[in-house]
Amino acid sequence: MPLLSFEDLDLGHGAQIVLPKLSLSFEAGEHVALLGQSGAGKSTLLTEIRRRLASRAAWCPQGHGLVPLLSVYHNVYMGRLERHSALANLLNLLRPNRQAWPVVESLCDELGLEGLIRRPVAELSGGQRQRVAVARALYQARDVFLGDEPFASVDPHQARRLLAQIKRRHETAIVALHQHRLALQAFDRVIGLRDGGIILDAPTRELDIAHLDALYPDAAESNTRPETASDARIAAS
Amino acid sequence: MSAPPGWLRGESPGLTLARRTLALVAICAVLLPLADLRIVAADPWTELGRMALGLVWPAWHALESPFSAIALTISVALWGTFLGAVLGFPLALIFHRSRLVRGFCAFVRAIHELFWALLFLQVFGLSAVTALAALATPYAGIFAKVYAEILELTPRAPRDALPEGTGRVSRFLYAELPLVWGRLASYTRYRFECGLRASVLLGFVGLPTLGFYLESAFREGRFGEAGALLWLFYGLIATLHWWGHRRLLPLLMVGALFWLGPWPEVDGALLWRFVSQDLWPAPLLAGDITGMGTWLASIPDLAPAIVNTLLLALMGTVGSLVFALLLWPLASRHFAGAGVGGRLQRGVGRLALVMLRSTPELMLAFVFLLLLGPSLLPAWLALSLHNGALIAFLVARHADGLNLGMPGLPASGRYAYELLPRLYPNLLALICYRAEVILRETALLGMLGIATLGFYIDSSFEYLMFDQALFLLLITAGLNMLVDAISRRFRPRDVPLDEPCA
Repeated sequence: MPLLSFEDLDLGHGAQIVLPKLSLSFEAGEHVALLGQSGAGKSTLLTEIRRRLASRAAWCPQGHGLVPLLSVYHNVYMGRLERHSALANLLNLLRPNRQAWPVVESLCDELGLEGLIRRPVAELSGGQRQRVAVARALYQARDVFLGDEPFASVDPHQARRLLAQIKRRHETAIVALHQHRLALQAFDRVIGLRDGGIILDAPTRELDIAHLDALYPDAAESNTRPETASDARIAAS
Repeated sequence: MSAPPGWLRGESPGLTLARRTLALVAICAVLLPLADLRIVAADPWTELGRMALGLVWPAWHALESPFSAIALTISVALWGTFLGAVLGFPLALIFHRSRLVRGFCAFVRAIHELFWALLFLQVFGLSAVTALAALATPYAGIFAKVYAEILELTPRAPRDALPEGTGRVSRFLYAELPLVWGRLASYTRYRFECGLRASVLLGFVGLPTLGFYLESAFREGRFGEAGALLWLFYGLIATLHWWGHRRLLPLLMVGALFWLGPWPEVDGALLWRFVSQDLWPAPLLAGDITGMGTWLASIPDLAPAIVNTLLLALMGTVGSLVFALLLWPLASRHFAGAGVGGRLQRGVGRLALVMLRSTPELMLAFVFLLLLGPSLLPAWLALSLHNGALIAFLVARHADGLNLGMPGLPASGRYAYELLPRLYPNLLALICYRAEVILRETALLGMLGIATLGFYIDSSFEYLMFDQALFLLLITAGLNMLVDAISRRFRPRDVPLDEPCA
């Protein structure tokens, strides 16, 4: 019994179809990397997966989606906002919830955010914000982790650590990313998107870096490493 | 090879705005002959000289109780603004969903604070309730509109990141309110500054704020005293960021409670009679249709007043635009030289703008009226200078937040190539917002005898013809809503609004 499957599905925003006639299925327990250029449809696919899994999936969005004025604690707490009453949530803004605080604190410690839990997110560096966004997703405590470039602003070493935490706490993970080496080393399966379709869907043991570079036509032509290309893209955005 | 485009040809946003602006100026120029701009003053110079002398040598010793006047001015502004915000915030939450709420807000803000004061005065007398209600009522409508616009600009990303099933209230508290809190707070601060000016103006109808003493000193020719009071008020506005600091506000709020007063004894029967009978035409209450005809015929011919009101608003808007374009470099860091001279130049520029924008427009109009005689000219000058300086100040602040891409350009290059293209959409948006305010102020200038709608409203109140006053207020409000709708269509879209003091 697969976790989720699509059959001949058109995906897009409104009338604009990004991924036509998509057929795909995911098994529970898989760790899947989604690769492809920006605009290839990774986010569209993840959004649809999120819609279908609803409250079974924890969600870590692209660009963090944090609230700069609120503290790290409150941003992480937002992962379970739906499990408390509006009144409890309001009181928590004025005085942190006794039960939630130690849980959030130990989670932050594990992700390398020691001593920052009271700090407004506005004062954090890009890498620290990224980890807060991951912490918020982990705090949701779901079976499936869905991440849209959750490692975009951390270094490869950090990314490996974060991914280990994610895998430890989730049965299944589906993650869009640009780090090819990480995709090959730490995931079970790679799905490559290009020109509105899936051009690669294979277990990682059957793949090498050259297969993945083919997903990035520009990078292959100009002979730049994909990591560099994605870094440049992040710097420009 | 292609031929270079002709005058004002092209599709860039700057050129579009420039064409639009020139069209506005052209309309104003065409209509200008309709306005009565005669200079009919006999010998204003002695009077004016005494006024200038009063400003240069203020008679500090002549002030009787400046402290209590200042305290009352601040208290009214503080609580009036606060109550307006408290009433306006919930309205902002449903502003875009309810036509009724939008209409209600447009109506309450279309009537100037001073006219609200005249209305409440009949019921609550010269009391704190009149003062607070006169400020809080239109401000609730303004806050509702501006807060709703700010809330609309809330970034969506945090909201989309929330887990499934998050409640509406929790979503608002965590993923919406904190994202716009800074903008809401800074707009509220600006409105407080407007509230201070309005609080001074309330003195003109008899509430003992600074304006009360200012008006009587002016009217009785005690210009030394008037000068001292004006300097006090300039000082108050210029030091606002010190005494109005965020941390001091709770203390000020509590202290203000002791200064507010007197509290009226409201006579329920009188209040009811005023609301149910005095405000409405007697024939209408009696169901007498033919009597209504006679009642309408008794109202003075309003057509010239309406034409004057609209014309003055258009002229005031264009005048403000011109003054704002000329004045903003005075207060901007980009146009001050280096060293002590530069600092001095900028300080003087800022002081001039503070003076122009804090002097109540009624006072400016009064001075010009004395100088130029009773026509639309003094009102035009007063409106243009006051509003132009206010917008210039906001634009200068906006400019100081920008960094030049190419240092070392001459001043004209800095103005025309670096800064104005970036500032102009915002400037024009501010002017469009301001058009509505200018229209409200034209009505106000009627109190000085300038033949706008406000003149008839003021005299209706004077003769205790409240039914006629309400009728005229409704016409004024209707005009305001019309102009608001026009300016909304005219103003540049997608401009991040930089806290207009609208």
